Amino acid sequence: MKLSARQLCFFLAAVAPAGKLVLLPSQLAAKAGNDLLFPLAAHIVFEAALVFLVLLLARRERTVYAMIADMVGGAAAKAACILLAAFLLWASFVPLIEQKLLVQTLFYDTLPSYVAFAPFFLLAGYLCAKPLASMGRLWDILAPLFCVGLTGVLLFACGSADLGALAPVGGSGAAGFWRGLFGASSWFFDAALLLPLLGHFPYQKGLALRGALCYLAGGGAVVLFCALYFGVFQELAVSQPFAFSQMSKYFSGVAAMGRVDYIFIFSIAFVMLFYTAMPVQAAVDVVAEAFARPRALAPALSAACNAAAFAALLAFNFVPSETIALISVRLFWIFPAFSAGMLLVLYAAWAAGRRRRHAQ
Amino acid sequence: MRNNGWLRRMPKRLWAVLAALLLFTFLSNDFGLVDLQKTAIVLAAGIDRSEEGFSVTAQIAVPKGSDRTTGGTSSVELTGTGGTVADCFSAIYAQTGWLPKLVFCDLLLLGEDAARAGAFGALDYFLRDEYAPDSCTLAVCEGSASALLRTASAVDDASSLALETLFSDAAKKAGRIRTTTLREFCITSYGASACGYMPYVRITDPGRQSADGAAGGGNAGGKGGKQADAAKEAVFDASQTALFSHGKMTGLATAQETFAMSLVYDRVYGGSLAAGGATLTVLKNDGGVSFPRDPAPAVQFSVKLSLALADRSAPAPPTSLAAGTVPPETVDAAKAEVTAHLAALWARCVQADCDLFLFRRTLFRHDRALYAQWKDRPLEDLPAYFTIEAESLR
Repeated sequence: MKLSARQLCFFLAAVAPAGKLVLLPSQLAAKAGNDLLFPLAAHIVFEAALVFLVLLLARRERTVYAMIADMVGGAAAKAACILLAAFLLWASFVPLIEQKLLVQTLFYDTLPSYVAFAPFFLLAGYLCAKPLASMGRLWDILAPLFCVGLTGVLLFACGSADLGALAPVGGSGAAGFWRGLFGASSWFFDAALLLPLLGHFPYQKGLALRGALCYLAGGGAVVLFCALYFGVFQELAVSQPFAFSQMSKYFSGVAAMGRVDYIFIFSIAFVMLFYTAMPVQAAVDVVAEAFARPRALAPALSAACNAAAFAALLAFNFVPSETIALISVRLFWIFPAFSAGMLLVLYAAWAAGRRRRHAQ
Repeated sequence: MRNNGWLRRMPKRLWAVLAALLLFTFLSNDFGLVDLQKTAIVLAAGIDRSEEGFSVTAQIAVPKGSDRTTGGTSSVELTGTGGTVADCFSAIYAQTGWLPKLVFCDLLLLGEDAARAGAFGALDYFLRDEYAPDSCTLAVCEGSASALLRTASAVDDASSLALETLFSDAAKKAGRIRTTTLREFCITSYGASACGYMPYVRITDPGRQSADGAAGGGNAGGKGGKQADAAKEAVFDASQTALFSHGKMTGLATAQETFAMSLVYDRVYGGSLAAGGATLTVLKNDGGVSFPRDPAPAVQFSVKLSLALADRSAPAPPTSLAAGTVPPETVDAAKAEVTAHLAALWARCVQADCDLFLFRRTLFRHDRALYAQWKDRPLEDLPAYFTIEAESLR
C-alpha cells in the first residue's frame, strides 16, 4: 500500500498541527509569557527543516529499516528501530494525557469516571494493527475537516482577541525564549513520525521542499492560533489548558445561537483522535517491519502497546501535571537529543548513499 | 438478499469489534456519569462572607409544578457555608443530595462585603473548576447576595433571570449598564492595571422589596423567601458600577458616571442624556481614551455625540415636535454635562485607585521605562483632559 505525495502533504499541513492545540499554548504562555510565538516559531522552522531532510531520504524509496541495515547491518538496524519505537512511545504519552484530559473536560459537564477514556484504545488498537501507510485515505478526509474546524474556531475567536496583549515584544527576555523553547520540545516530533513512512510513498521531484512548506503552512496556522489564544485570554492564558475548545465561545453569535462552535471544536477533536494514536502506530509499524514480514507481529504489538499505554495512563491518572512536567520539562532533552541523533543518522545515510554512487 | 451482500462481506473481525464495542458501552454504566435527576442546574450563585469564611447561595432551576400555567423557570435557592466556596457547594451537595452543576451558571453575584474583602477569594473557585463557564456575568449587590437571589422579582420567576434581562445587550447599548464577565474581570485584574468593574445591583422600589432576612436562613435545603406573595415582588436596578482595585471593591460610580464610561468605551446608541431641561437621545457615539506621553503622561478623554431631542420639560409647539433638532444651547449643555460626568468618574477612579482606563497597562505594553516610573504612582498625578464634541441631528 502506497501513500501519495498529496496525502503526505495533507498530513504535514493539516493533521500534524492538530496535536499542538491542546496543552501546548498554555504551556508556552506559562514559560514564555506574551513572547510565546517566538519559541513556537523556532520549533516549527527547525521541525520543517527536519521534515525536509527526512523527505529527501525518501528518494531512495527504501524503508528506514532497510536503509539502516544497508549501512550497519541487520542486527544494528533492528536495535535502531527499537530505539526509534521507544522514542515514539515516549513521545506518545503527552498527546495521550492531553487527549484524555480534553475528553474528560470537553465531552462531560461533571468529572467522569477515569476509565471514560478507555474506548479510545479500542480505536487505537485497531489503527495500530494497520500499516501506517494505509492512513493516506484517512488523511484525505481529516485534512479538510481540520481546516474547516480551525478556520471556524479562529473566525469565532478573532473578535474577542486583543492582539495588543502580545506586546511588549521581547518582554520575557532571552530566558523566556529558552524556557519556552525547551518546554515545548515534547510537542515537536513530526519528522520522527515520517521515518516509518519512508519507502511507502513514491518520491516526486520537489516533494521534500513541498513537504517542508506544507509543514510551515500548518505551523503558521498554529502560530496564528496561539496569537489569538493569547489575545483572548491574556493574563489567564496560563490557566486555559484546552485552548481550542475555549476560545470561540465568546463570539457574540454564540449567545444567540448556542454553542454552534462545537461543530468546529468536534471537527478538530476528531482529527486529534487519529493524530494521538499515530506515535504508537508509528512505533508498532517500525518494529513490525524490522522483525516480521509481512507484518505478522503488528496485531500483537498493537494490543501490547495500547494495553501498556492504557495501563500507564491509569497509573499516572492522578499525577497528570507531574507526568507532563517530567516529559516536557525535566526530560525535555530527550526530544532535541533524538532530533540531533536523527540528523546524524540522516547524514550518515546520505553519506553512505553518496559513497555507493561514487563507487559505482 | 442482494441488498445484504455488504453484510456478508463484512469481516468477522469487524463484527467482533462492533460486538465488543456495544457490550462495552452497555456495561459501562454510562462511564459513571451522575444521574441527571440527582444534579442541580445552577442558574446563578450568590457569594457572601460569613463567620466561617463564605456562604454560597445557589439558585437552582427546578421543573414547574402543574399548577403553574405561565412560561418561565421556577427556581429554588439553597445555601451552604464553609471555609471556601468549594466547601459551600459541598455542603449543598451533602445536605440535599443534589450535585450542583455549574455548566449553565450565567451569573455570579457577590455580596458587598465579599466584594470589599476581595473578589478573588470568592471567584478563584470558578476559575479552577473546569466545568464552570468563565463567560458568566459578574455583579456586586447591595447587602447580601443571598438575600437578593431569594428576592421575588416582578420581572421574572427567578431573580437571576430578571437580572440577566437587566444586563441585556439593549441596556448595554443604551449605555445604562456596564457588564463584565469572569474572564474579562480576571484579565484586567491580573494585568498591569490590576483593576476591574462590575455592575452594582440594588433593589429599588423599597415599598415592595422582600429582602427580609431570608439570607439569615442560610441553610442548605431551606427554600428561600420566594414563596412570598406577589405584593412583595421587587424591581432591580444596576445602573451603578462597582470599581475594583487589586481585586477589592474600592469605589462606586453613579449612574451618570456609568453612562459617561459607556460613552468612552462603547458605541452608545439610543441612550438618553438629560441636559438643559431636555432629554436627548444619543444617536451616534464615538469615544476613546488615549495617553499622550509628551511632554509628560496625561489622560485624554474624547467623546463624539450625535444628539436628537427626545423630550423637553417645557411644552413646545407641534411644528417643532417632528424635527427633533437640538437647540445649540442644549447641545452646549449636553457637552458640559458629559464633561462633568467624565470628570467625576475620573475623580472617582483616582479616589478608588482604580486604573479603569488601563493607563498602566498601556505603558506596560508600549513603554516599559515609563511603566516602571508610574506603576506605583497615584493616578492623581496624571492630568486629565476632556474633548467632547456634540452635534444635533439635522
